[in-house]
Amino acid sequence: MSALGVIVAVVSVAAAAAFGAYIAAWVDIVLARAVAGVPVRPLDALIAPVSWGAAVALKARTTTERPDGETWALAPALLAALAAVGLAAAPLAPGLLAADVASGIVLFGAAMALVVVAVFLQGWSPNSPLPMIGGYRFIAEGLSYEIPLAVVLIAAALPARSLAIAPIVVSQENLWNVIRQPLGLPLYLMAALGLAFWGPLALPEGVDLAGGSSLEISGVSRILWRVAQLMVLVAVSAMGAAVFLGGWLGPLLPGAAWMIAKTLVLLVLLIGARHLVARVPTERYVIASWAILIPLSLLDVFIAGIQALVAAR
Amino acid sequence: MILDVTFWAFAALAVFSGWRVFRADSMVRAAYWLLVSFAAVGVILVLLKAQFLGLILILMMGGEMTIMAVFMVAFMMNPAGLNPMTMVHRNRVAIVAGVVSFLAIAALGLFARFPTAPAPGGVDPTRRLGVELLGDSMLVFQTAGVALLATMIAAIAISSARGRFGDADEGSVEPVQLVVADAGDEPDEEGHR
Amino acid sequence: MTSTLARLASGAPSRCFALAGAGAGDVGPWLRLDPSVAIVDSPRAADVLLVLGRLEGEMLHAAAAVHDAIPPPRGVVVWSPDGWSSRRWPFVDAVTVRDASEIAPACRRLRDDLFRRRLASSPDALPDLDPAPWRGVGPFGQGGAGMTGGVPYGRPLAGRADDRDGLRLDQILVRVGPFLPPFPPGLLLDVRLQGDVIQEATIPAPIADDAGASGREGPSGAPVPHGHPARLAVAADSPFTTALTRPVPIAELELARARHHLAWLAEALRVSGLEAYGLRALKLAFGLDLESAESIDALDRWLRRNVSLRWGTNRVGVVTRAQAEGLPGGPVARASGDDRDARSLDPAYQRLGFEPVVRGGGDALARWRLRVAEARQSVQLAKRSRTSESTPSGVIEDPRGPLSDDVPPSAGLVALLPALLVGMEWGDAVTTVVSLDIGVIDPAVREVTSEGTGP
Repeated sequence: MSALGVIVAVVSVAAAAAFGAYIAAWVDIVLARAVAGVPVRPLDALIAPVSWGAAVALKARTTTERPDGETWALAPALLAALAAVGLAAAPLAPGLLAADVASGIVLFGAAMALVVVAVFLQGWSPNSPLPMIGGYRFIAEGLSYEIPLAVVLIAAALPARSLAIAPIVVSQENLWNVIRQPLGLPLYLMAALGLAFWGPLALPEGVDLAGGSSLEISGVSRILWRVAQLMVLVAVSAMGAAVFLGGWLGPLLPGAAWMIAKTLVLLVLLIGARHLVARVPTERYVIASWAILIPLSLLDVFIAGIQALVAAR
Repeated sequence: MILDVTFWAFAALAVFSGWRVFRADSMVRAAYWLLVSFAAVGVILVLLKAQFLGLILILMMGGEMTIMAVFMVAFMMNPAGLNPMTMVHRNRVAIVAGVVSFLAIAALGLFARFPTAPAPGGVDPTRRLGVELLGDSMLVFQTAGVALLATMIAAIAISSARGRFGDADEGSVEPVQLVVADAGDEPDEEGHR
Repeated sequence: MTSTLARLASGAPSRCFALAGAGAGDVGPWLRLDPSVAIVDSPRAADVLLVLGRLEGEMLHAAAAVHDAIPPPRGVVVWSPDGWSSRRWPFVDAVTVRDASEIAPACRRLRDDLFRRRLASSPDALPDLDPAPWRGVGPFGQGGAGMTGGVPYGRPLAGRADDRDGLRLDQILVRVGPFLPPFPPGLLLDVRLQGDVIQEATIPAPIADDAGASGREGPSGAPVPHGHPARLAVAADSPFTTALTRPVPIAELELARARHHLAWLAEALRVSGLEAYGLRALKLAFGLDLESAESIDALDRWLRRNVSLRWGTNRVGVVTRAQAEGLPGGPVARASGDDRDARSLDPAYQRLGFEPVVRGGGDALARWRLRVAEARQSVQLAKRSRTSESTPSGVIEDPRGPLSDDVPPSAGLVALLPALLVGMEWGDAVTTVVSLDIGVIDPAVREVTSEGTGP
């Protein structure tokens, strides 16, 4: 792997992530206007993220009393880096994969497991009660979505007999995983909402915490945190499209176009969930996740295992 | 060349962050310095072509260090190190034990004879690892893993205050209260009479 | 660079943090309908501090602290229905607005002027001092005796206490309010938190003001007598205050009630995370007329079908029948099975065949459903009533509860909070407080549950 190849890969993943975050911000505004019943004006909404960014960038950065400065600076950068690594694990087209590792699923899982660290640090660092509660809540939420996420991804890897993403996409040539493993995509999307702490699972940043872990940030830090969150949304949508919706497979159009289209579909689904589903109550969600979602994910892997056994005969 | 530089850089990071764990006053920082150390070791494992092991190490340690950080914040009085209160006990014994263990493991690493024959090419390390670890008992381990998970969840559900049969403090009586108390006995801070 | 950013930024809504004082009424919620203004949840995210209504005594001090939390460039916009001003006003160069319709354009202009450097950012209102001096005091310089004393960096060492599972975990004492966004303005709570579980909530005593008696003054400078409706949390031009002494068309009263309930619903939906759908309810409230019963029905159907809303409010914040009977009345009591309604005693309503809406359960979901049902009933009553008028009797059923000269409409609800919130998680506590619809709390009539002087 040459140095130039590494640089090209890093730059292209960063650019894709940033562009994806912008599209996600635009989709969020459009869907919010549609649900609220106000005129949507999508072209006008294209400039809205830039206006918001400019307005926020003109504000001074704040500090609180004795914050943990280094971790506070680290948290958004870490979240953005993890999102980029997650996006790098998803293939755009056959052969166009930034992180071509033999255990692509595990790379994605490791990157997403560290999201808990980033959000907890964002809540811990300001030395303020409400962000701290947001950090605690996210740990409870993170531990709860982690096992269903890992298990449904493993179930999707079973028919491919490989942990790398490209073979998983190829194994869906006859039938997409969303059809032959019906529990997989819904459970994955629920975990994806938690990974991006978005919508129903926006527990660390809920309105009941007056913004929670982003209560104390201002200026450029606020922009970085929001962009990092949107990048996580893009990364989980891309991985979901690759693993459950057949990635680059599809007639007529080139593979990359299909991959982008499927990512957009999942992105719109995830963003729309914010405007139609209320935020979950923390304790009830934790109980439901451990007592209901984990058995459902185990059922999913059993179904995948039985299908693999039958196919082997 | 790049491989060597990467290896030495991450090895140095692992040792440095391991040392910082003991020097940090903030408990959360200590937990995350330990995570950095483990992550550096995970990267070294990936460099050694044990990709699955290295990535799994990072995945597991992320969750575990966060849980450790939360427990330290929940149980310790001075988790961020903002007060000058010392939070270490038997400092000298711990330092001696730490240095002795470090020297012993370093001696192992330096003086043991590791196999020098290169691994055969084209082998899938994940598959070989699975076969080596679990052998013929793969189904047993799968079912044992699921059974362990179910046991943990069930144990928490039963023992938490809102258990299967209602609140734990309605109906059930703590053993302490069965002792006949004299009038005027008040439990002290630890709940003893 | 700054001017380019300022030009780009002028397309974004101006972000305002709204402080509602006495007499603000429902002005704050209606501002959410204006696309040029964004009401934010945290002062750190705001450009403009919006002061609505009258703030006095410790509320003014708290407003100054909130103002200082806003990062520069910042400004202040003030609106008050009766042109009130205070001797102890802490803000320099605040923009005063006479008419409620001018609030949004004023915020917008102020924000643009601040970003283009035409106006200087508002300076700090309070001196930058430690509330409890600690630097250099004590053997380690942390402000107290030994290693564990003092309040370094404003944070005392956490004490430990039993939690609900019998473990001894850290507990912190946090003073919440008076302007925390999901809570009613003026609500001050001293909360003992273990993680995100509230172990104890008390209402602290008001801090005595130097001017004595909270420096209460009316527009002409004369002190406002205790018990006068202008002193209470109802807007001065509300039809319900007028109806205390004069007959008011029932259609007007009932449409105002429906509007209030729908505005409350919009806020409650926003706190649940459904901000966009809350805007839809707010628009319905703004354009409410006699034919809106079907729209309210559609809204009710959507709410009933939304399982996630039920999940967050079912069996949360239960007010028992006994507690409800201790209240003077109002929707909270009616959601717990108590059927008292001041409208039942009014002969004009009796002629219309009015029956109060009552639900059992007493949880947050029951209160939600009750208010939507009452909104629908109000629109139907308004349509049926034609020109009949209410009978003034000294007590009128305000949307929050019975209103009279002496008793504010949400009397008794704040006193319920300490018992209600114990053992609840923060999220459930906020759901409960929002479902009680307490309105602006007048500090002088606040029901105190502890004599402590704060942390």
